[in-house]
Amino acid sequence: MSLVIDQLSFSYGRIEALRGVTVQANSGKLTAILGPNASGKSTLLRCAIGSLKPLRGAVLIDGKPVHAMKARDLARRVAYVPQRSTVSAAFTVREVVELGRYRLPRRASRVHDAIERLELVDVAGREYSALSVGQQQRVMLARALAQIEPDGLLILDEPTSAMDLRHEHDAMKLLQELAAAGATVLLVMHDVTLAGTVADDVWLLDRGKLVVSSQAADVLTVERLDEVFGVSFESIRTEGGRIVILPEACPRNEPAIMSKT
Amino acid sequence: MKHISQRQLVGLLLLLGAMGVAMGLCILIDRTPDGTIGLAWPDASFATFRYTVLGVGAIVGAALAISGVLLQALLRNPLASPYILGVSSGAGLGVMFAMYLTFTLRSDSLGMSGQTGPAIMGGLAALAVVYALGQRRGKLDPVSLVLIGVVVSTICAAGIMLFQQLVPTGLRGEFITWLMGYLPQSVNPGLLWICGAITVVGLIVAMLMGSAMDAATLGDDEARSIGLAIGPLRLVMFTLAGVLAAMTVALAGPIGFVGLIAPHGARLILGPRHTCLVPGAALLGVTLVLGAYAGSRLLNLGSGQLPIGIFTSLIGGPAFLWLLLSGRGQS
Repeated sequence: MSLVIDQLSFSYGRIEALRGVTVQANSGKLTAILGPNASGKSTLLRCAIGSLKPLRGAVLIDGKPVHAMKARDLARRVAYVPQRSTVSAAFTVREVVELGRYRLPRRASRVHDAIERLELVDVAGREYSALSVGQQQRVMLARALAQIEPDGLLILDEPTSAMDLRHEHDAMKLLQELAAAGATVLLVMHDVTLAGTVADDVWLLDRGKLVVSSQAADVLTVERLDEVFGVSFESIRTEGGRIVILPEACPRNEPAIMSKT
Repeated sequence: MKHISQRQLVGLLLLLGAMGVAMGLCILIDRTPDGTIGLAWPDASFATFRYTVLGVGAIVGAALAISGVLLQALLRNPLASPYILGVSSGAGLGVMFAMYLTFTLRSDSLGMSGQTGPAIMGGLAALAVVYALGQRRGKLDPVSLVLIGVVVSTICAAGIMLFQQLVPTGLRGEFITWLMGYLPQSVNPGLLWICGAITVVGLIVAMLMGSAMDAATLGDDEARSIGLAIGPLRLVMFTLAGVLAAMTVALAGPIGFVGLIAPHGARLILGPRHTCLVPGAALLGVTLVLGAYAGSRLLNLGSGQLPIGIFTSLIGGPAFLWLLLSGRGQS
């Protein structure tokens, strides 16, 4: 599955949200999209799933413009998870996950496996709207998991923003596994530290423009992040030798497992 | 999500039975001139009237309920009723305008039978305006549709009041009777067949769209990503819901609460899946309308037979409040 974004521009009325973004997603990689608020991250994702028609340029999936693709063809290639999802009907968790197979051959095993993988077995019969936001995010991840093919494109917009630490960890592990199995994973997130830990590649956006796209270690430098986010960052080496990027002002105490480089 | 569960099957059979009882009562309830009420097979001279009422009631009940299901799914709003798009007020303006023209040109009354055409034209005209203005970026937008529907309704209501002032007091009674909703005992058979055919087609199309309406309960972006072409679906839902509602208003005037309560009641029994919900709501809609007609024949306040719109509102209002306050009214 190839995703090519070519000179993509989009405006909401007079407000330019994306300005000539050109970048390519690598299959088998987990790519984090980072940037300040209103930098165009979510707009980029909505263009990538064909919900927004570009003002100029194009998003190409396997060489075809995505906004011209039929919905059925898109469903076979792309799964999308928004930050927050409401379901305007009293569907159970299982029924919501089943929606992932709406235009695809029904496979009960895919739905069952997705529910089990996201640890939703105990709430599978409960109404979706009665769950906490964090649980709802796991349900939407399960729906996408039931839909996506091994070499498909998975697009996620802050899918773990309301999850607790363990479930966020599990979700990130799942995304890494999907990428390792051949999927292309595009993930908008705000946690720079987490991005540095889980992502293979990073796209950094600022005010609708692509600042840089490369391997995570090359993009996430203290100087570049200081410039884009307007916050001081520091680089810390863990006892295991990993480099971790942290905003400088946040921690009151030095993490016990880390020592400064 | 296409199979029908045992619970849904039992629920549909129960609703079918309830509809059968309401149909039986509608045919058999007999009131003698001295006010005695009993159950009797109607004389041949009255049978045609009763069958016409039965036919109109079945069409109106089913069409209002299907329209309600479609609109609640389209607008993602469980409080949506078939009249939220301005259909009833548009039809009312059409009728009132026709009354004014008839009086001005012929110094005559329009009559109940003459109201069908203007009601259809007025309802569809309101629908066309809401459709034209209720779009964002070339697609029907649920929020815009509701807002434009409210505005169109308000403007039509102002027009109705204007024409009410321009016709003699006596003619206003005709309009008020129409406004309360009624099941006519005499309708052009051709019109009734056409309306019946539209309702059956509407039922089948809505059932075929059941899975798509399930998918449309997600947000627009997600719905598209799982393979739903949301734009064309909304267009079909809007057109079908609007035409069905306009047809019922033309046949029987605006009958309140059926299009709101029938989908909710069916949801309580059958669950939220639309493929099963659509026929269930249609059965319940028929039951409500014919049940209200039977009620109107049973109750005698000395002012003749009461319009069924009063009964549907008296039953539907408290039922809706109960659904709302008990939290069972979620879509």
